Amino acid sequence: MEGIQPYQSSTVELLLLIALLLPLLSFIISFSISERYSWMVPFLATLLLLTSVASSVYVFISVWKHEPLVIQLQWFSIADFKFTVGILMNSLSALMLIVVTGISFLVHLYSTGYMVGDASIRRYFAMLGFFTFSMLGIVLADNLLMIFIFWELVGFSSYMLIGHWKEKVEASSAATKAFLINRVGDVGFLIGLMIVWTNQNSFNILELSSSTEIFSWQTAASLCIFCGVMGKSAQFPLLTWLPDAMEGPTPVSALIHAATMVAAGVFLLARIHFVFTLDALDIVIIIGSITTLIGALAALVQHDIKKILAYSTISQLGLMVMAIGAGSPEAAMLHLFTHAFFKAGLFLAAGSIIHSLHEAQHKAHEHFDVQDVRNLGGLRKKLPFTFIAFILCGSALAGLPFFTGFLSKDAILTAIQHWVGGEFSWKWFMLAIAFIVSFITVLYTFRMMWSVFMGEEKRTTTLPVEEPPLVMRIPLAILGFASLWLVVGINPFDYSGWLYSGLHAGKYFQLSLMPLISALWVVLALVAGYLLRKKEIQSSLLFNTFYLDRIYNTLFVKSTLQFAALTNYIDKKWIDGFIHSTVYTQVILAHFTNWFDRIIIDGSVNGVAGLAKGVGSITRSFQNGKIQLYIFWAIFAIIIFLIWLII
Amino acid sequence: MTVLNFIFYFLEAVAALSAISIIFIRNVFYGALLLITCLLALAGIYVLAFAEFIAVTQILIYAGGILVIIIFGIMLTSKISGKSLMVEHTNLFSGVLAGLTFLGLLLYFISSQKFNPFSTAKPTPEKSIQAFGTGLMTDFILPFEIAGLLLLVALIGAAVVASSIKSKNS
Amino acid sequence: MFQLQHFLYLGALLFSVGLIIIITKRNAIMVLLGIELMLNASNLNLVAFNQINPATIDGQFFSLFVIIVAVCEAAVGLALVLRVYHEHKTSVPDELHELKE
Repeated sequence: MEGIQPYQSSTVELLLLIALLLPLLSFIISFSISERYSWMVPFLATLLLLTSVASSVYVFISVWKHEPLVIQLQWFSIADFKFTVGILMNSLSALMLIVVTGISFLVHLYSTGYMVGDASIRRYFAMLGFFTFSMLGIVLADNLLMIFIFWELVGFSSYMLIGHWKEKVEASSAATKAFLINRVGDVGFLIGLMIVWTNQNSFNILELSSSTEIFSWQTAASLCIFCGVMGKSAQFPLLTWLPDAMEGPTPVSALIHAATMVAAGVFLLARIHFVFTLDALDIVIIIGSITTLIGALAALVQHDIKKILAYSTISQLGLMVMAIGAGSPEAAMLHLFTHAFFKAGLFLAAGSIIHSLHEAQHKAHEHFDVQDVRNLGGLRKKLPFTFIAFILCGSALAGLPFFTGFLSKDAILTAIQHWVGGEFSWKWFMLAIAFIVSFITVLYTFRMMWSVFMGEEKRTTTLPVEEPPLVMRIPLAILGFASLWLVVGINPFDYSGWLYSGLHAGKYFQLSLMPLISALWVVLALVAGYLLRKKEIQSSLLFNTFYLDRIYNTLFVKSTLQFAALTNYIDKKWIDGFIHSTVYTQVILAHFTNWFDRIIIDGSVNGVAGLAKGVGSITRSFQNGKIQLYIFWAIFAIIIFLIWLII
Repeated sequence: MTVLNFIFYFLEAVAALSAISIIFIRNVFYGALLLITCLLALAGIYVLAFAEFIAVTQILIYAGGILVIIIFGIMLTSKISGKSLMVEHTNLFSGVLAGLTFLGLLLYFISSQKFNPFSTAKPTPEKSIQAFGTGLMTDFILPFEIAGLLLLVALIGAAVVASSIKSKNS
Repeated sequence: MFQLQHFLYLGALLFSVGLIIIITKRNAIMVLLGIELMLNASNLNLVAFNQINPATIDGQFFSLFVIIVAVCEAAVGLALVLRVYHEHKTSVPDELHELKE
């Protein structure tokens, strides 16, 4: 099927392919460029990404609210089954295209300042490009098999990026943990794919979406696919990798763990939400609610900036999943869109704090942990630009009115309320949890901001702290502006702006009391946060995320390692022992045959020779030159003759 | 048992015993002496068999000539150290076995023949020596001449073979 | 007068004794002795068979020539023994095995 829209199809296709392949080009160039020209790499990569963003903007404009663009190519076939590679470009993937390329470009720009002087800068930019390419692959693919392939590639590139500073043990073990937990989820994904294939004989999303009847095992298939989402988007119980992944560089955290990779799961849910049955969606929303609660509570007690942001990401992802479960993928995508911008902004702001303080530490030859908020305070005077950016993005996170976060959270709450319906049931708890979480979100955001920027300086009084360089400030400014309500729509209180209606033209919830309620709720939480600003909250339970890590360690990690040791033992002892014993048997057999050959065969040959020799020597002895023996033999012959005469 | 019988058996016994004891005697010289005894006994037996000429020829030539040169040979081939020559045995078992088998066979053959008893003793003619001479010159002239030739050749040959010893020495 | 078998028995005995001497003695002179003994045994046989018809003294003539031949043979034999003894310094026939295969 070629492109079926009536406008300039070839240009759009070309630009789409450019947008897709330029990051891959960046990856190849960055990897293969030599040491001498490594200073060129950041600029080259950023330039390529800028071109990619421009192309994707054009594509977005062309595809938004039009027919989807579909390109398909034959890949391989097994018997009668044909597998294709192809691109499905509808409004959903066009939106994600903008998000992915835009944030990737901003992170590239930021990294040119942040990662300056890093030894493996080429690998860094190469993997950033590769990650962008893989993420775009997930966004654009038109069948589940391709999505799975790119899913795995995204996991791989996140492994490479988290473990970028591979000299640090914590970084590489965090990367391994992320990859492994993702893999656990992907097992479920694969099983789900198999079930889908068995029942529908197709992976193609368009074909799947057109089948209306519920096929057998659909709930199981959807839940299995949701397993993959759980791994990738850090839902409960596969969420422990995300806080540890903060060992990677901060721009990486901004790109991967705020905006794009973790959003891939939510994107997948939105892409194939027609597969999910109502029972599956119930389970989805329950898991999302548990996740969001855990994330929010844990974020309250952390004292590492990046960990607070990581747990807040978990919490917001849980909200998005709840929205999917409530039957409104549009609300989830809206929140994903806004969350990408303000969370990336928050991460980059945190990165600029870290960067500036590190620079100051180098100059003053001091060393303390810059990421610990207990060491920071009163930085609003020294880092005013970062302070403003932080306020903008943080307010969006908290969901204050006039910011995008308020609108998207509003959409989610309205969707859940609509899903809950009128009667009292267990579903009310979901709504209650969503409200509680939005309260706690404000609390921890306020707390974080207060302890870093307000109050008095603690450890940083003597440091000559400067603002970060321009290349790092530009992305912050862009993202800060993107957190204002104008991105979503004209009306700061109506979330159904151009974006929402672009995603789904039909569903439009009536303007209800929800915006007002949530606005009041947020203000209440703000007041509570201000009152509680000095209070220290200590809880080891929450600090260790309910000891999930430890549970996993004792339940799974230890037993797996023991099992691995057992199989190693079996292999060494029995299998190798078996092989050794066959070898020994062989050698013994060889020795035996050698003995046999030597003694018996050679012996018999020698014996025959000896027999011939003996007989020969006996017969030879008749002629040994002794006269008397000759006489004797003559007499002997005569005697024989005489006896013969007698007989 | 008449005296003649007794003498006959006595002479037979002497001959047999002396011959047998040559086998057991280690000393070569004693062996030669025993052979002389045996030959003399044989001569006696010849007399009792009405062959006087042969008996005397036996004593003269055998016992007197041949045995003497045999004793010469013994003396010449023994290492001059004062010790008398001792011989060992070789192939004793097989030799004795062959000999006994041969003896047995001969005895068997002899005893399985029937011999006519002698006609009443016709004595030898009175002038046996004369008969001998006449016979040599008339009936047995050829063997006589050949015998003379043989003796000549043997003489020359023995002289040649033995004389080279001297030339080698000098 | 006496039975022929007695002469023949003695002759057989002497012959086999001579045979034994030839085969078992390790001295060349003893071998000659044995040969003489064997010749004498055949002489005895001839003389014994002479008694059948003593008038024709054939047996005696025969044994005369036997004695002559024996004399020749003994002379030459002894000369040879002496020669061999001079060459090889031994009179043991077993040690004269240059014709050995």
